[in-house]
Amino acid sequence: MSNVPAIEIKGLRKTFRDFWLRPVAEAVRGIDLTVEKGDVFGLLGPNGSGKSTTIKLLLGLLAPSAGTVRLFGMPPRTRAARSRLGYLPELSYLHPFLTARETLLYYAGLSGMGGKAAKARCAELLEQVGLSAVANRAVGGFSKGMARRVALAAALVAKPELLVLDEPTSGLDPIGTRDVKDLIRSLARDGVTVLMTSHLLGDTEDVCTKIAILSKGQVAAFGRTDELLTRKQDARFTIAGLDEEQAKAFAAEASARFGREVQFDHPRVPLEEFFAETVGEGR
Amino acid sequence: MRRFRSLVRSATLEALAEPLSAVLFLVALIAVPLLPAFHCHQFGEAGRLPRECGFSALLVFGIVFATASAVRVIGGELSSGTAAAALARDVSRPLFFCAKVIGVLVAFALFSVAVGLSTVASVATAEMGEVQERLGYAHVWLPGLVSMVVLTLAGFALAAVLNRFFRMRFCVTACLSVSGAQVIALALVAAGAKVPMQWSLLPALAALAAGCGVFVVLAGALAVRLPPAAVTTGISLAALSSFVWPVRAILPDIQMFWLVDSFSYGGAPAVGQLASAFAVGALLSAFWLAVGSILLERREIP
Repeated sequence: MSNVPAIEIKGLRKTFRDFWLRPVAEAVRGIDLTVEKGDVFGLLGPNGSGKSTTIKLLLGLLAPSAGTVRLFGMPPRTRAARSRLGYLPELSYLHPFLTARETLLYYAGLSGMGGKAAKARCAELLEQVGLSAVANRAVGGFSKGMARRVALAAALVAKPELLVLDEPTSGLDPIGTRDVKDLIRSLARDGVTVLMTSHLLGDTEDVCTKIAILSKGQVAAFGRTDELLTRKQDARFTIAGLDEEQAKAFAAEASARFGREVQFDHPRVPLEEFFAETVGEGR
Repeated sequence: MRRFRSLVRSATLEALAEPLSAVLFLVALIAVPLLPAFHCHQFGEAGRLPRECGFSALLVFGIVFATASAVRVIGGELSSGTAAAALARDVSRPLFFCAKVIGVLVAFALFSVAVGLSTVASVATAEMGEVQERLGYAHVWLPGLVSMVVLTLAGFALAAVLNRFFRMRFCVTACLSVSGAQVIALALVAAGAKVPMQWSLLPALAALAAGCGVFVVLAGALAVRLPPAAVTTGISLAALSSFVWPVRAILPDIQMFWLVDSFSYGGAPAVGQLASAFAVGALLSAFWLAVGSILLERREIP
């Protein structure tokens, strides 16, 4: 049972139909995917490529037109499968009249948690997503980023083994984005399997160990992120403490030695890192 | 059981947090006590008009409250995505539907209790007004009338204060505090009025509430598949045509739950009438609960 993949999709198809059962759109056209336990898996694709439909099929919210979906070897509509799942929707669907704390307690209740354990878990998550100070404010008045943090905490409340994140960094500022990426890495270290979609390819590249790119409802590329993105025929060096003249000399020597054109530039600090250094931790 | 409790609680809060709920509480609970002050004809009975006003308020405002709340809680959750977030968890769809409907029924029960208590107090106030009229005073018994209206308004004021200083939800607090105010008002009227209180009105009002409760479940079941406007229209048509066979086989026939006529000239509804009203209400509610659960089970949630 331990070798069962976290997600197994075979020949998955989904055709949406209108009231008269006429086909309107074929959103998913025969997808085969396997996500092993412990993977941080990125599902990428342009708008309309079938990412959200695939996720809703995974969650059992939609029924497939053909093919099968298995979560930990079980159909997604079974309670045993869903009890191991955490889900962050694309939009932070929250009850506006509940406070942040009540929202988490509501989702803890839906996961069968209650009493002191639920309260302690909610307090821990509010601290983790940086919302302890506004825990008793109604989420209807929250900014998009704050609502996103509450929704993320709600997805984590039952300590899921499989976390499905639909655009997890949508609406977050750069520091919030970095925090979420750190959180995903930390969860992966703890053995949590993560399936995420994002339009921000840099974020996906930063955290995902495997990716699949969907196009027109089909898998256009699938594999380990490193293998797909690394160009093994090229090499790049970073040499600390080399000024402009020395770099030019090194490039000329290397060019003469290997008979190839050698380019060099100076490393740049990623904008995310520079932003974080400039504004401090932001909160 | 925790899942069920969480869903019921959120549905009750959602139903009461809607501004329309607070407006309906206010309108009903001000209209019922004020009627004795304005009535022009007693139909040979001082308590008749306020009694019928109380029943009418429960029926009309109750159906509006029931429909609006059920459509918002069931249909609104399905369209806004909060249902998807809940159903992606270890929550079965029948449990979700039943718990949400029961949550709305809890809110509707609060409304019914408040209107019921207000009706009993209003009837006693009108009858006390008749006593005063015979003694040569004005036909309005001011202490009873003032205590009912002022306490209702005080309930809203208390909700405003709690919202201002403690950030408590205004609409929810207002619905709760005006309901509490009816208990105090009824106690004051019962202590001051020198007429017997008509407690037998309460079971008859409860029977009418059971009839309206069917509309809560029906609206919830329809909201699983239909847009809000269609549900509202459907409920209105259902209420209007509920006495026509075969519609009355699956919808509550309002005449069966409308037991106010039994009270004319000191009468009261028979136990059998009450029992059959509650039994039919429970059966129809169970039927529509099952229909709604099946509809949600088969529905795709985009």
